[in-house]
Amino acid sequence: MSQKLENLSAFVDGENGVSSSSNSLLLDAVKNDTELQLKWKSYHLIRDGLRQELPVNVNFDIADKIAQALESEPLILAPKKTWRDLRLVSNIVPFVKQGGQMAIAASVAVAMIIGVQQLNQADVNQPFNAAPPIPGIQGGLSPVSFDQTRSIPNSGAVEQKRRINAYMTDHKQQLRFKIIQSSNDKAAILKQNIKNEEVQSDIVENTPQ
Amino acid sequence: MLKTPHNKISYRFILSLLIYVFVPLQVCAQEESTIETSNNSYPSDSAQAWLVKMSDAVKSLNYTISFILLKPGVDSQPYLWRHGVNEDGLEMEQLNLLNGPGREVVRIGDKVSYFEPNVPPYSLQSSIINGPFPSEFFQLPEKLMMSYEFILVGRSRIAGRAAQQIRIISKDKSRFGLNVWLDQETGLLLKMNMFGQDAQLLEQIQVTSLQVTKDPDPFFTKIEPEMLPEVINFGPSVPLNSPWKIGYIPKGMTIIKRDLRRLSGLGEVVEYIMLSDGLVDVSLYLQEIQSNKQQENLVGTVQSDTLLTIKHGELNITIIGKLPAATANTIAKSIQRIN
Repeated sequence: MSQKLENLSAFVDGENGVSSSSNSLLLDAVKNDTELQLKWKSYHLIRDGLRQELPVNVNFDIADKIAQALESEPLILAPKKTWRDLRLVSNIVPFVKQGGQMAIAASVAVAMIIGVQQLNQADVNQPFNAAPPIPGIQGGLSPVSFDQTRSIPNSGAVEQKRRINAYMTDHKQQLRFKIIQSSNDKAAILKQNIKNEEVQSDIVENTPQ
Repeated sequence: MLKTPHNKISYRFILSLLIYVFVPLQVCAQEESTIETSNNSYPSDSAQAWLVKMSDAVKSLNYTISFILLKPGVDSQPYLWRHGVNEDGLEMEQLNLLNGPGREVVRIGDKVSYFEPNVPPYSLQSSIINGPFPSEFFQLPEKLMMSYEFILVGRSRIAGRAAQQIRIISKDKSRFGLNVWLDQETGLLLKMNMFGQDAQLLEQIQVTSLQVTKDPDPFFTKIEPEMLPEVINFGPSVPLNSPWKIGYIPKGMTIIKRDLRRLSGLGEVVEYIMLSDGLVDVSLYLQEIQSNKQQENLVGTVQSDTLLTIKHGELNITIIGKLPAATANTIAKSIQRIN
């Protein structure tokens, strides 16, 4: 038993080697043993906890709830008799069905044609998808696109789009010209941190009152 | 199946016996391994030790790595990354974008030369390549230890090699997290995922091939250092007397640049501040509100960067960088005039 538990634990942690035969043996054992199934669940929970991968809402026993829901589902024992069961109607229905399928196929084709036409039209109204080309050394930057998550009124939209593009372009340029003088010494890093803090406080103190 | 109490007791006894025997043994083994790697002070099986191993490998090995960079909303970008150390101990590095007209960066020691389409080639005096990946993090992971937590997750298989997974999480949740997979054998990077608060993927680097060689790649012998472009000199930066103070800077971040600049395309003067923690760089733009220009508050994402523009007091503040919008908002709201 303890050997099985250990194997299961290793399997859950992904440290069980790659021999598939032992893994499938283990999986068979889990399938046939409720105790191992409980362990399976708790080991995964423990692993997720240790790796800080737990979801915000932990839902235990989803499987049980689904099983319960399925049991409380009403059963349909016998189909109701409908007008389709009349002989004449049942002979006609297949023809109608076929005709219907043809109609569906035709309408899908029409929809496709319309859709393709729509797709091929240039999308003019999409917000923030083109940056003006920038002359000089900033050239060669790709235009940025912007997914906005808050709606903005239409009036200042063009102006805002221009601003955002300018800011994005500048941000990229700043990153391109960033200069880092790193040293391999850890003490130097700490010193650098302290120095930076001093620089910050300088800015705070030296400013005119 | 250990049903009887008697069995249980004997089982426990054996277990405790095992613990008594094995734990001291293990401690001994650990002591041995820490002595072995005495140049770094972390136990050999810790996440920190793995990152130190990574930075050593990145700086000292001769390697050729192909990787693909994936960002939301953009095509995948394949890169070639080579590194070599010559007989004199000089580091040489090359990064090449393989699609389209390309972009090539060559670093020889502390001189980084950029060759890009539509731009005359130029060089910077820097020890890292400003590229699609956080070079600074690869060389100096120690910088992050103050503000990030490192968790050793487990092993898996990446790019056909055994890999060690390490999770890097911002301690105060003010920045995005990283999942890093390092090669078990060499410690080099195999995969890197940057993820947001709900563990959604923001950016990914996936290595597709990794070769470590005894000698540097022949490419490096072809470079003539004298032929590389001149280093751009930005001149000494004038200390800026800014009337603005940033009240909140996320832990571990420092101001690495602060100046007044004219925005190209707008022609307006803004105060620029760059914050960095050695992994992500964040740009802040401060501009006093002019009455005739109406600007709306806005928050969104551009590829994997967060962009936030808000009106705060007399200022329009724009923040861009790979950080959660909530953090950007806190930084922006903390900016005040010094009295």
